[in-house]
Amino acid sequence: MNATVIIIFVTIVAMTLVITYFAAKRTKSASDFYTAGGGLTGWQNGMAIAGDYLSAASFLGIAGAIALFGFDGFLFSIGYLVAYLVVLFIVAEPLRNLGKYTLADMINARFDAKKVRGAAALSSITIVIFYMIAQLVGAGALIQLLFGIDYLWAVILVGVMMTIYVLFGGMTATSWVQIIKAILLMLGTVILSFLVLKNFNFNILEMFAQMKTATPHGEAYLNPGVRYTIPLDTISLMLALVLGTAGLPHILMRFFTVRDAKTARSSVMWATWIVGLFYVMTIFLGFGAAAFVGSTDIIATNAAGNMAAPLLAQALGGDILMSFISAVAFATILAVVAGLVLSGASAFAHDIYGQIIKKGNVSEREQMLAARYASLGVAIFSILLAVFAQSLNVAFLVSLAFCIAASANLPVIIYTIFWKRFNTSGAVTAILTGLISALVLVTLSPSVMSPEVGAAILVGDPIFPLTNPAIVSIPLGFLGGVAGTLLSKESDAKKYAEVKVRANTGGFRQL
Amino acid sequence: MAKSITGEVIKGAAGSERATVNNPARTTSGEIDFERIEQSSSFKNLMDAKKKFLIPVTILFLGLYVLFNIIISYTTWLEGSFMGDISWVWVFAFGLFVMTWTLVTVYMKRAAKFDELANKTLVEFGYEDKEETR
Repeated sequence: MNATVIIIFVTIVAMTLVITYFAAKRTKSASDFYTAGGGLTGWQNGMAIAGDYLSAASFLGIAGAIALFGFDGFLFSIGYLVAYLVVLFIVAEPLRNLGKYTLADMINARFDAKKVRGAAALSSITIVIFYMIAQLVGAGALIQLLFGIDYLWAVILVGVMMTIYVLFGGMTATSWVQIIKAILLMLGTVILSFLVLKNFNFNILEMFAQMKTATPHGEAYLNPGVRYTIPLDTISLMLALVLGTAGLPHILMRFFTVRDAKTARSSVMWATWIVGLFYVMTIFLGFGAAAFVGSTDIIATNAAGNMAAPLLAQALGGDILMSFISAVAFATILAVVAGLVLSGASAFAHDIYGQIIKKGNVSEREQMLAARYASLGVAIFSILLAVFAQSLNVAFLVSLAFCIAASANLPVIIYTIFWKRFNTSGAVTAILTGLISALVLVTLSPSVMSPEVGAAILVGDPIFPLTNPAIVSIPLGFLGGVAGTLLSKESDAKKYAEVKVRANTGGFRQL
Repeated sequence: MAKSITGEVIKGAAGSERATVNNPARTTSGEIDFERIEQSSSFKNLMDAKKKFLIPVTILFLGLYVLFNIIISYTTWLEGSFMGDISWVWVFAFGLFVMTWTLVTVYMKRAAKFDELANKTLVEFGYEDKEETR
């Protein structure tokens, strides 16, 4: 670690702590804590969504995947971006119009039943935990590489920072950390892309021509099939990516931080432009790393390719740029885990404690206390899990989180808004079928079962052939909702009329 | 049946604009009659306008996305040269990016119209958002 790294690093940490200090003064109610009082503007929330979404897996993971596997690495960028159309067209506005703090609020606007809220909270917590372990394990490994700190201390460092933001500054601090991170990340990516393009004489054709010979894959590098060779597996993964975003609790929660559906809509627009431009630039980062660092060196530093972007920064801009990019990666990790802690805490404190156990009879002070205890609990629990999960594959955990989000959350969201006959038991079965089938199929898949001892968690021949079960578990989630609905006679046309009117007009709010 | 009765009530409500402001969609017990709003022509206009845009557009973008993944997974159709060493795969992929940005932009314009229609329904049934009139 040199002095530049330490200065940039300390500056970013200090900046986020100043934000937290001012945010803490403004965090007086549960609504301030969970949603920053609902007072963010469209561009602010759009930047925060981008900051929440562009995780280390996006920045370092995709850059590395493109560097090592060419076009196949870029597939992630495509899926992650197109997903925003699902968010914009189907989920964002009804969610804002019906909900208060959590996804469960939105579903409970139609079905006032504890079991529905419980099921929704359970699936949210499961997704948050998988996503969080992935982020923390990735963070620990990265910080270890970037700053030479032990894995254990790296995880604790990130854990303490995220806890401070959320505990004291709630959603206000989290949002601004995410906004600043988005700006830093875009800045770093633009600088790197510019340097890469400069080295290719700003000629895209020349860049592609050089890439044909720059990697061990030869011409195949520029076409699909280097990494993903089983067609159904590719399609399954891509389905999880495009449909999962609209079910991720920490992304959904961001729509409660704006005052109305119109602002929710414009925040998706901002997010789509920022995220999209970022993903276009991942091509330059990946190609640049493959051409100017070389896959041998990338793999030597980290087998998964996660160090491609920082190594590229070093090759093209020297130690100062490398330090800056490393600090950006650190800020990226902090912003995402803070958002995750907050969404996990809201499911525990608001859904399970406030609404199910206390039946909504909680004072403002009790809500705040519960929210803070839950944040602390979620943070400590995930730090502990991350310490023991060091050897788990991060990319697998992230794609699993997307798969559960698409299978357990998306069907129930769609049915709640669009299906008149849908009922309480349908809501419960939709969530549980999606959640359980995704988890069970993954347990039986090659990601968890391998005949080779030590290659995966369980030893044995995989029973389910695909690494990502989305292509089976998403339809099962939808079918589970239909089956549960039809098996029960319950149907409330009056309530559906209310939900339909409120979801589509934004009027008659019951908050 | 109750439906036909409410149906006629709605026609009356939608027909005379003045009456609706003073006479929001509330039942005698003070609850809002959402079924009456749902059946009103102004709300139906909103839903029709939304469906007319959202259904085809959703089928289009999900269709193109899935088609892309099927083509690149099962065939080599897109692996021919578009220009120099850039194959059609990149063109299609970039096309999906352009599609996303275009649809978002188009939707933002359309949604302004949906807001107008939604507002008509809200005004007709006497709902005012306190924040909006602030």
